[in-house]
Amino acid sequence: MKLILSGITKTFPGQVALRGVDLSVTYGEVHALVGQNGSGKSTLIKILSGYHEPDPGGSAELDGARFTLGSADLADAAGLRFVHQDLGLVLSLSVLDNVLLGREYPTGRLGQIRWPVVQQQVGTYLRQLGVDVDPRTAVGDLSLAERAGVAIARAVSDTSDQPMAIVLDEPTAALPPDEVRRLLEILDRLRRDGHAVLLVTHHLGEVLEVADRVTVLRDGRVVASAPRAEFDHDKLASLIVGETIVSAVGGPGGGTIREQAGGDPASEADPVLETDNVSGGRVRRLDLAVRRCEIVGIAGITGSGRESVAPLLTGRLGRRGEMRVNGRTLPPGDPSEALGRGVAQVAGERARYGLFPNLSLRGNLTISDLGRHRRHGRISAKGEQAETADWIRRLNIAATGTDVPIMTLSGGNQQKVLIGRALRLDPSLLVLDDPTMGIDIGARAQVHKIVEDCAENGMAIVLVSTDSDELARLADRVLVMKDGIVAEQLDRGPALTADAIDMTLARGVGAGPGAAPSFASPGGES
Amino acid sequence: MTLDAKLKAGQAPPAGGPRRGRAGLSVPRRYSAVGLWVFFIVLFGILQFHLFLTVSTVQVVFSQGAVTALLALAALVPLTTDTYDLSIGETMSLGIVMMTWFGANTHLPFALTVVIVVAVSCCIGWVSGFIVVRFRVNSLIATLGMSQLLSAAQLYISQNREIPGNFSQAVLNLGNGKLWGIPYLDIYLLVIAVVAWFVLEQTPLGRRMLAVGGNSEAARLAGIKSDRIRWGTLVVSGGIAGFAGVLYSVQVGAYTSDIGSGYLFPALAAVFFGASQLSQRPNVWGTIIAYFALAFGVQGLTLQFGAGAFWVSPLFQGAALIIAVALANSRGAIGNGRDGRMLRRFRRPAVEEEASQP
Repeated sequence: MKLILSGITKTFPGQVALRGVDLSVTYGEVHALVGQNGSGKSTLIKILSGYHEPDPGGSAELDGARFTLGSADLADAAGLRFVHQDLGLVLSLSVLDNVLLGREYPTGRLGQIRWPVVQQQVGTYLRQLGVDVDPRTAVGDLSLAERAGVAIARAVSDTSDQPMAIVLDEPTAALPPDEVRRLLEILDRLRRDGHAVLLVTHHLGEVLEVADRVTVLRDGRVVASAPRAEFDHDKLASLIVGETIVSAVGGPGGGTIREQAGGDPASEADPVLETDNVSGGRVRRLDLAVRRCEIVGIAGITGSGRESVAPLLTGRLGRRGEMRVNGRTLPPGDPSEALGRGVAQVAGERARYGLFPNLSLRGNLTISDLGRHRRHGRISAKGEQAETADWIRRLNIAATGTDVPIMTLSGGNQQKVLIGRALRLDPSLLVLDDPTMGIDIGARAQVHKIVEDCAENGMAIVLVSTDSDELARLADRVLVMKDGIVAEQLDRGPALTADAIDMTLARGVGAGPGAAPSFASPGGES
Repeated sequence: MTLDAKLKAGQAPPAGGPRRGRAGLSVPRRYSAVGLWVFFIVLFGILQFHLFLTVSTVQVVFSQGAVTALLALAALVPLTTDTYDLSIGETMSLGIVMMTWFGANTHLPFALTVVIVVAVSCCIGWVSGFIVVRFRVNSLIATLGMSQLLSAAQLYISQNREIPGNFSQAVLNLGNGKLWGIPYLDIYLLVIAVVAWFVLEQTPLGRRMLAVGGNSEAARLAGIKSDRIRWGTLVVSGGIAGFAGVLYSVQVGAYTSDIGSGYLFPALAAVFFGASQLSQRPNVWGTIIAYFALAFGVQGLTLQFGAGAFWVSPLFQGAALIIAVALANSRGAIGNGRDGRMLRRFRRPAVEEEASQP
């Protein structure tokens, strides 16, 4: 039994996401789908789930019979099941209720739920998957791997014996290494029960452990599709990133690369920022030293601890361990104190952590320090407007005036306002968290220019980014996070390219010291 | 990113110009309270030609409305930080009990009793703030609970009986006198409104309050002590509500039970309606205009249906409150910061989540 896609193409306005993709998933197999961000994996999954309709011309076949892509109902009827990265579970409900969420409960004559029957059914599914939990436990009390197991049980539970195709989108992204192993074990059970598993993942270690077949997507094309035995780690990584690694000396696409700060006498000076065994959030240990004029990049896949670095440094998250700014210890979890010591930030997720939707551009910009415009107790609108106009000019913000509502600006311009908010404090340390996320290409280049200028003028900068190209372009060195620690450091030089960063990220868990999940010997404690 | 894209990056024009957002609303909507006010005057002017369009109607509405309008300002102060104080009605009521009790049972100077009442009211706000900030209780719930506690305190003091205040004529004049035909009460209201406007719209503190109301997490990251500010607004709202109680007692001169909730609803309706006006966020003049627009409507309806139609006022106030919150919600004027998200969620299920779905 097979699910076969052939010649799937998907065009979005201005962009071709998939170009004639063929995919063949055999039931009773684990099929890994790998590729970088933007390679078309998500689009392919969304076509399978019926969220997108493919361009005409492609076809899909299930067990010899044609079926139409682009309809969620048809996909469901064909036995396609999807477990998304966030799992879609309700943490406060029990395992039982989560598995049956949105399904028919077996009921008695009075419409009452027949709990013994329900419990037995759900228990059976869980046992089949090797998920050993009490169905009455709240999902929020389970480990992450157990939660994933519940989500999978839910996906396979609604039809009795029919084998299904289960698509798992990055199920291990948020899992600690020891739990990854347990999840892989569940996948193995699914395979043995005759289901097809399509596993989308960034972790090559997992792929090599569990997959029977691997398909690599790059730029919307299938660049390889073969049994697992034909790949090894390095081959997979280079297929994912492309063949350009070796030749990419001098930076990707010839963008302007910053000159190295190494020759600068300032770099010999005491560091602006020092952290000593800092932990918190997903970070287990972070030792950093950032000097004036230096841009230190932080890379890492989601779940690696990268996402917690900026919140730890700026006080949004509580932390353990010592952090010194200009030689003085900074108390943890206090953004106001951090600002006072010269640590400014541009937080990731603009709308959530940055913007005040009820204030004007001016209000959003000057909120970081209103004291300088206070005259006789009130804000001098004139002084404030003058300063705002100045920043609009300096940062090249496209706005019709200083008092326009912030939400009427485009994302890139909103971001520049937030950068202005940080820069007007003249900080000694600037922490940027994905500063160009979701903004257009022109604004991105301008933001990069601003960041470069800041470093040139003596600021110390921590640049946390999911954009390898951005890191390669701006950073003096890039720290790659893995499992909550800095796993690797890439120094400025011809070798620091976006591809090299991608390569390090793609090597993933498997390359980490002792972090490789061994599927052959599942953990005894489960 | 492709090579082409990178080359283009250098020469791309400045990113997109201003786009039309929800804040770019048309002018008439932002002045709809004024329109409504005019509408009521015209409507009831026609229906009740001899009764409605008289100096006495205007004076009745403005002198009776001053206390409620002040209470609306009490609700407004925390609302700017997206914090909700539902205990203001009972705080005011407790203030009335205390004023009349002092008047009937003690010989303390009037000014001292005013100070005591306002101080106690501030303390009530402090306790609400403590619950909201320290125990992370949603302010809607914390102050709702607080209002019941205050109700208990009133019943204990008054023994559920009417308390005549035995105020001197000089004191009652403070509540009922007029200056050039303007009731004193409206002058007090105006003074407090101007102070509130100044602090809110003109000072750094006011700007920070609005920032907390717009996005409390972003405010914290911008170095603002969000918690302290929210706490402070609850203290101030308690104080203003207590002062509203003082004004009520010098106007009416006696306490009767069950005053609080009757005043809370029109005050809330005015604040929420006002928040959809003018600057499209909780604001002083929008609140005042909204209150008196609604008050004229109630007065007109009361005249229309006769003095016996007691149902008119709650019917009108309830409907006004619901419509006002719906309006303020749809304009994004409230519910951005924190506690109000709960209110918003009822009306607009997860707009953001929709966008992020695969």
